[in-house]
Amino acid sequence: MQRSLPTPRREFFRQAGLLAAGAALAAKLPRAFGADDTGVTGTVTLPFDNGQRDLVAYPQKRPLIRLTSRPPQLETPFAVFNEGIVTPNDAFFVRYHLSEIPLSIDPAAHRVNIRGLVATPLSLSVADLKALGDPVEFCAVNQCSGNSRGFFSPRANGGQLGHGAMGNALWTGVPLKRVLERAGVGVGAKQVSFRGLDHGVIEATPVFAKALDIDHALNGEVMLAWAMNGTDIPMLNGYPVKLIVPGYYGTYWVKHLSSIEVLDHTFDGFWMAKGYRIPDNPTHSVAPGTTPTATIPINKFTVRSFITSPAAGAPIVAGRAITARGIAFDSGSGIKEVAFSADGGGTWQPARLGQDTGRYAFREWQMTFTVRAPGPLKLMARATSNAGETQPLEATWNPSGYMRNVVETVEVNALRA
Amino acid sequence: MKTIPHASLVPAFSIIAAALFVFTLPSRAIEITLPRETAALKPSPLPGFALAQGLCGTCHSAEYSLTQPPTSPRAYWQATVVKMQKVFAAPIPDTAIDPIVDYLAKTYGNDRGAATATPANEKKS
Repeated sequence: MQRSLPTPRREFFRQAGLLAAGAALAAKLPRAFGADDTGVTGTVTLPFDNGQRDLVAYPQKRPLIRLTSRPPQLETPFAVFNEGIVTPNDAFFVRYHLSEIPLSIDPAAHRVNIRGLVATPLSLSVADLKALGDPVEFCAVNQCSGNSRGFFSPRANGGQLGHGAMGNALWTGVPLKRVLERAGVGVGAKQVSFRGLDHGVIEATPVFAKALDIDHALNGEVMLAWAMNGTDIPMLNGYPVKLIVPGYYGTYWVKHLSSIEVLDHTFDGFWMAKGYRIPDNPTHSVAPGTTPTATIPINKFTVRSFITSPAAGAPIVAGRAITARGIAFDSGSGIKEVAFSADGGGTWQPARLGQDTGRYAFREWQMTFTVRAPGPLKLMARATSNAGETQPLEATWNPSGYMRNVVETVEVNALRA
Repeated sequence: MKTIPHASLVPAFSIIAAALFVFTLPSRAIEITLPRETAALKPSPLPGFALAQGLCGTCHSAEYSLTQPPTSPRAYWQATVVKMQKVFAAPIPDTAIDPIVDYLAKTYGNDRGAATATPANEKKS
């Protein structure tokens, strides 16, 4: 894991954060979010049935694709992923589960409480976390478990997302390990549970809490972050402290982190024991329309890649060199290869990989190719991780619509020169 | 789609001002106001419409129903309403479950008749 990045990269991340900071200041104005108090600036149609969505500007955010209003769920317009491998704070996706979300937070008053099976329970402010010294910093992808659920066939119920419930940011904070060691983990610790300030409207609604095995919690990588792309984490992404679980789905990245509990047993809360479960088999899939016999909590990302340019439907010209580009990521082994096909998977060529900014980050790739004849084309990218995992050519299926990672196809039309 | 000012078009001086603000002060108190909620369940003469407005709308906005695939079977709506009552502790009386499921399945699911089809549902993509 890299602790610091070369100066040019740092400057790049800083600028990604600064653009967001500009939006953050603007968001404090009374009429922050667009033409009127609805914030709606337009509409988009995601490419699946019933995919019409509003584009809405939320505080500290540029107009994003709104899935739901209460609680807010926003996805990133896909074109943002072609602007660079760092997803700006004001474009980063938002996913809440329960509707009572914090709208006002004073970081001086906020506390992260560490309790349970520890020698010394702690109550730490953001300043206390920063005072633990030697902050760590790395770039990591956060992706919703249900990213791309709208493309499942047959369709899977749940949030009908396109590919925009993912993002890649530079996170700064303190390792969870250091915090837990300060509290002193007791003998027999099995898991650590986490919760934030958001909760349900009804008292009895299961609180949104997640858990990690104790070894995972102590691996030195799981982080309590206070900064995203060099500036404050936006409110809707978990200000002022967010749990960062690199390589794991976003469900574990608890926002507005307020409570950490060391447990001597496996956590049995709804969002671990019943929700966010995947089939317990090697491909975490079942035959479409069927129910798995056994399930486990969702965990690490599968390997994925995307073509960010050309966009679907973009006109290209036959006989001229075209540079396709995109992004790839996995759960942390890093990307070994991205293969590119301009003929619907008939032939594949290795793409050129861009700068490595960390094994949990988006990895850029590029491929220059020339189309010989006019007509429709199917462009495809297929990533292989250093761990040897390759994207499937046929989509797998599970009832909850999680973990999509089939090779995606971008259809374009080559025009006569 | 209307065009909107992009963050990168913000004048340089305000970005510099933002930089000074962010890097000279510690994390600061933030207060936000969410956009006004506009999504609404589709009106229907079915008795479940008013029940769904009041009961489902207590905890979440209408898009949770509106955005589901139009192929969603009645069994999905049944399981979801029961989950809201039993797991999420929504105060849905037992007598309200059948009418709510009926409204949801006929309005957003695959029990839609031709008369209740909507533009969004007719769209082919």
